[in-house]
Amino acid sequence: MGTTPAIEFRKICKSYGQLRVLRDIDLKVAPGQVMAVCGPSGSGKSTLLRLVNRLESISTGEILIDGVPTAGFRGRKLQQLRTEIGFVFQQFNLYANLNAADNVSLALRNVRGVSREKSRARALELLERVGLADKATCFPSQLSGGQQQRVAIARALATDPKVVLFDEPTSALDPEMIGEVLRVMQELPKSGITMMVVTHEMSFARDIADWVIFIDGGAIVEQAAPADFFGAPVHERTRHFLQQILSPLAAAPK
Amino acid sequence: MRGITFDWAGVVTGQPAQWLLSGFLTTVYVTVAGCVLASAVALVVVALRLAPGRVGRYAAGTFVEIFLNTPILVQMLFWYFAAYGLLPRTWRLFINADHPWAVLPVNVIVLAPEFLCAAWGLGLFTAVFLAQELRTGLNAVPKGQTEAAMAQGLSSWQTLRFVLLPQALVNAWQPLVGQYLNLMKLSSLATGIGLAELTSQVRKIESYNAHSLEAFAVGTAIYLALGVAMGRLLLLVGPKRPDRKRSAPPERAGALVVASSARGSDGI
Repeated sequence: MGTTPAIEFRKICKSYGQLRVLRDIDLKVAPGQVMAVCGPSGSGKSTLLRLVNRLESISTGEILIDGVPTAGFRGRKLQQLRTEIGFVFQQFNLYANLNAADNVSLALRNVRGVSREKSRARALELLERVGLADKATCFPSQLSGGQQQRVAIARALATDPKVVLFDEPTSALDPEMIGEVLRVMQELPKSGITMMVVTHEMSFARDIADWVIFIDGGAIVEQAAPADFFGAPVHERTRHFLQQILSPLAAAPK
Repeated sequence: MRGITFDWAGVVTGQPAQWLLSGFLTTVYVTVAGCVLASAVALVVVALRLAPGRVGRYAAGTFVEIFLNTPILVQMLFWYFAAYGLLPRTWRLFINADHPWAVLPVNVIVLAPEFLCAAWGLGLFTAVFLAQELRTGLNAVPKGQTEAAMAQGLSSWQTLRFVLLPQALVNAWQPLVGQYLNLMKLSSLATGIGLAELTSQVRKIESYNAHSLEAFAVGTAIYLALGVAMGRLLLLVGPKRPDRKRSAPPERAGALVVASSARGSDGI
């Protein structure tokens, strides 16, 4: 482990009042790694992701981005950090008042201070990359779910982040639109982007991720390379979860 | 005794007509000034309420409570009879001096204590109502919009300006227009601090030639026309949902063509 991890979780705990959502999470995500995070709903996996760019605050422990602890970041520094971490939401969350191109260029222009022409050119380039060059002037309400999520990915990439976090990016999509989003995501690791993906999409975890972690009850139960994770899950809870996800009808009720 | 006969000429010609015109324009000027001030102050209040600082939030909250829960007439009297006197002497001398640039058409002097206190009072009073309407409009914007902006590193002011406010304005435009109209109507109270606006001019006609019925009828009609015109204009120039005029999403195009053409024909 010579290189500094892109993201490092050290003894992370997160509680909402009495409710402990995450307990003692230790995790390293290597630069360029694609990590799939799975687990039952309510297991704390979304919270884990939202701690990285401080959409939620950490209760105890610390998170290091490129070896730097970020807990003390405030104001401009926190804003700067956030431009270096892309975030893709389950519900897309495109700015409803802006068209696709403006959605992509907003942060570039106003947080990074890039000129109007340059940020616009960059937005069109990114829309092209996600296959939506012809939708630049469409508003979110005029786009399908799959298209919205692809614009959202373009938006997350606008500021050239080294890390992109995906919070169940395909869960809100109709089944026939999942493929178009996964195909866009599949291309990202080639440009060296580190990805953490909370997902129920086992095909993504198996085929694109190079590391899979399984969270249950706020703790990491199991982590392995995809082949081992799906081929020979060690933990009973992992096996049960996989069975429920992969063949829901066959899974024995508990 | 005149009985019930009307002499409209006693109101719409000669000196009374001059007064009505001047009163009408004064009402328009003070309304515009008040609306501009109200909008600016409302924006500051909303920004303070959303900003991270606790002090700003309390200050904004207190401001709203005070102006929301006291009568506008009392506020206006306070500004004119109490607060104005506390201004530095040099300021008051400056305001009372002759300034040709501060005289709007039909000899309405803007830089005068009556006009300033009326615009100021109406502006601050209306600002809290605008802020409340804006807050309702903001609450209707999904939380995900704020989260997306935060996740992209936008500051809270940038989030408000580029993402939340444009959507809140669309959501709340109708009630906001109602508040602007209220300001116009409440400007009639400025007659109480001696502003020569429409109501005050109507009363002047009454004491000039006792045409009270005609004078109040014409005055009311002018308010009505002004209110209707102002409401229509504001709705016309107001923000719209960005996709309203554009084509419907392809998969539902058929269903929406009918709806959008129906919408197109009824104007606003």
